[in-house]
Amino acid sequence: MIKSKFQLPLVFTLLILGFFVFVPMISAFEYSIRTPAKGGYGWDSYLWAIREEEFLYYIIRSTWLAGVTVLITLFVLVPTLTWIHLSNSKVRGLIDGLSLLPLVIPVVAFAVGAQISFPEFVKNTVLELPFLYFVLALPYAYRALDIGLSAIPLKTITEAARSAGANWLRTITSVIIPVIRGSVMATIALTFALSLGEFTLTVLLHWDTFPTWVTYVAQENILGAIAISMMSLILPFLLLTLITLFVPERSTQGRK
Amino acid sequence: MTFKVIEEGAPKRGRAFLTSFIKNFLPATPLLLIVGFFFLFPIARLIYVSFLSNENTFTFSNFVTAAQEPYRTGFVNSIKIGLFSAAIAAFPGAIAAYFIETRGGSKLRRTIAVMSGVLANTGGIPLAFMFYAALGIQGQLTKVLKFFGWDLYAGTFSLGSFLGLLIVYLYFQLPLMVIVFSPAIVSLRREWSEAARNLGANQFNYWIRIGIPLLFPSFIASFLLLFASGFSAYATANALTVGNLPLTPLQIGGLLDGNVSASQLNLGKALGVVMILISACAVIPYLAIQRRSARWQK
Repeated sequence: MIKSKFQLPLVFTLLILGFFVFVPMISAFEYSIRTPAKGGYGWDSYLWAIREEEFLYYIIRSTWLAGVTVLITLFVLVPTLTWIHLSNSKVRGLIDGLSLLPLVIPVVAFAVGAQISFPEFVKNTVLELPFLYFVLALPYAYRALDIGLSAIPLKTITEAARSAGANWLRTITSVIIPVIRGSVMATIALTFALSLGEFTLTVLLHWDTFPTWVTYVAQENILGAIAISMMSLILPFLLLTLITLFVPERSTQGRK
Repeated sequence: MTFKVIEEGAPKRGRAFLTSFIKNFLPATPLLLIVGFFFLFPIARLIYVSFLSNENTFTFSNFVTAAQEPYRTGFVNSIKIGLFSAAIAAFPGAIAAYFIETRGGSKLRRTIAVMSGVLANTGGIPLAFMFYAALGIQGQLTKVLKFFGWDLYAGTFSLGSFLGLLIVYLYFQLPLMVIVFSPAIVSLRREWSEAARNLGANQFNYWIRIGIPLLFPSFIASFLLLFASGFSAYATANALTVGNLPLTPLQIGGLLDGNVSASQLNLGKALGVVMILISACAVIPYLAIQRRSARWQK
C-alpha cells in the first residue's frame, strides 16, 4: 500500500517472528553440517543420508503416494464441485458439511478407527494411505476449489463450452480447470504437502514413508537424521514457493 | 400444459424418481463412497467398538476406565496444553497477521502465506530436532542465555516437560493463527475506517466500536481451532516426551501399538471417542462462526 513510509510496526513484527522461526531452524542446520570426526563443518551428514539406500526408496515412495492423493483429489473433487455449483442440488449442504467433518476428528482417533475397520485387502496395500490422506486434506482442498468455482461465471462458461461441442470431460479438463488454475494449484500444493509430511496416521497404521523413516535413522546416526529433517523442511517449502510462482494473484482471479 | 401433466404424471412416477435421483445424487456418489468408506465407516466403527467389552458385549466400562487415572491426567494435560498454546499464540498471531496484511506488500504477504503453510505443518521429529538444537541442554540459544546468566536447566526444565512442549507447540500454533486469522483482516474494508473518520471517530473509537467487534468472532473462532490443533497434536509430543508427560494422544498411540497393555482391549477406542467429543466442542463452534462471518467477508 504505502511503500515510501518506514513501516516500524511491520519490521518489528517480522523481526520477532523471524527470530522465533529461524533460531531453531538455523541451530538445527548448524548441527547438520557438523563433522565430529574431522572437526569443523562440512556436508558429510547430507552426503551420508543421500547415499543411504533407503533414502531414494522412501523419497520415491512418499512422492508417488502424495501424487496418487493429488490425483484422487482432482478426479473426485473437481467434477463433483462443478456439478454442485451448476445444479444447486439439494445434497450441497450435506457435502459441504461432510467435507468439513475431518477437521473435527483428531488424527489419532481417526487412525484407531482406520485400524479396526478395513477388510484385509485394503489393510494390506499401501494404497489405503492416499485415500486416507485424501480425507485429511479434504476440508482444505474442498474449500480452495469451492472459492475458485464461486469466483467465476461457471454457468456461462460451461454453456459456451457445451454449445461449442465439447463433452463434459473436455469441458472440465480444457475449460474449467484452466480457468480456476489458481485454486487447482493451491489444492495440488496443499494436498501434496500434507501427504508428503503426514506422520501420525502413517506411523499408527504401521506404514513406512519418508517422514517415519527419520525415526529409524535417528537411532543410528543423529546428525544424519537432522540433515534429513532439514531436507524434509526445505523440500515442501521450495515446492510451495515454486507452485505459487506459477499461480496468478488472488485478486486477478476474482475479477475474471 | 394441464393436459400434459395429467397425461404423463402418474405412470412415470418410477422413472421420475430415477431421473431425480440421477440429477440430485449420482454425480456425488464417488465422493460420497470414498468419504463413506474411508472416513464415516471407521469413525462409526470406532464409536461402536468403544462400547464393547473384551467378550464383545455392550458395556460402559471402557469409558469408566477412561475417566480414571492415568487417563484423567492425560485429558487434563491435553486440554491444558491446547488451551495454553492457543491462548499464548492467539494474540501475537493476530497482531502479526494485522501488520502483515495491512502494511505488507503483496510479495511479502505471499511469502509469509507460503511460509506459514509450511511452518504450521511442521511437527514430529524435525521440529523436535530444531528445538533440541536451540533449547536443548547443548542448544545454541541455551548457551547464549547461559552466557547472559540465565541457566535454563538450573531448575526442572526440559523440552519434554509441559513447559517445554508448550514452547515447541507455539512453533506451529503461531503460523496457524496467522493463516486462519488473516482472511478476517483482509475483509476489514478501508471504507469503514474512512466512514468512521468522516463521522468524527478517532483511531481509538474506530477500533472499540468497529474494528474489534468485527474481528472478535473470527478471533474466537481461530482460538478454538488452535485449541483443537494443540489438543490433538501427536507427532511432536511423541518425539519430545519419553513417557514422562501423560497426554491423551500418546496414551492412545501406546495402546494402539501394544506398547502399553490394558486389561480392556477397547480402552483406546473409548479414549478416541472422548477426544472426538472434546475436539468437536471446539471445531463445530469454529465452523459455525466462520460460516456466519463469511457472509460479510466477501
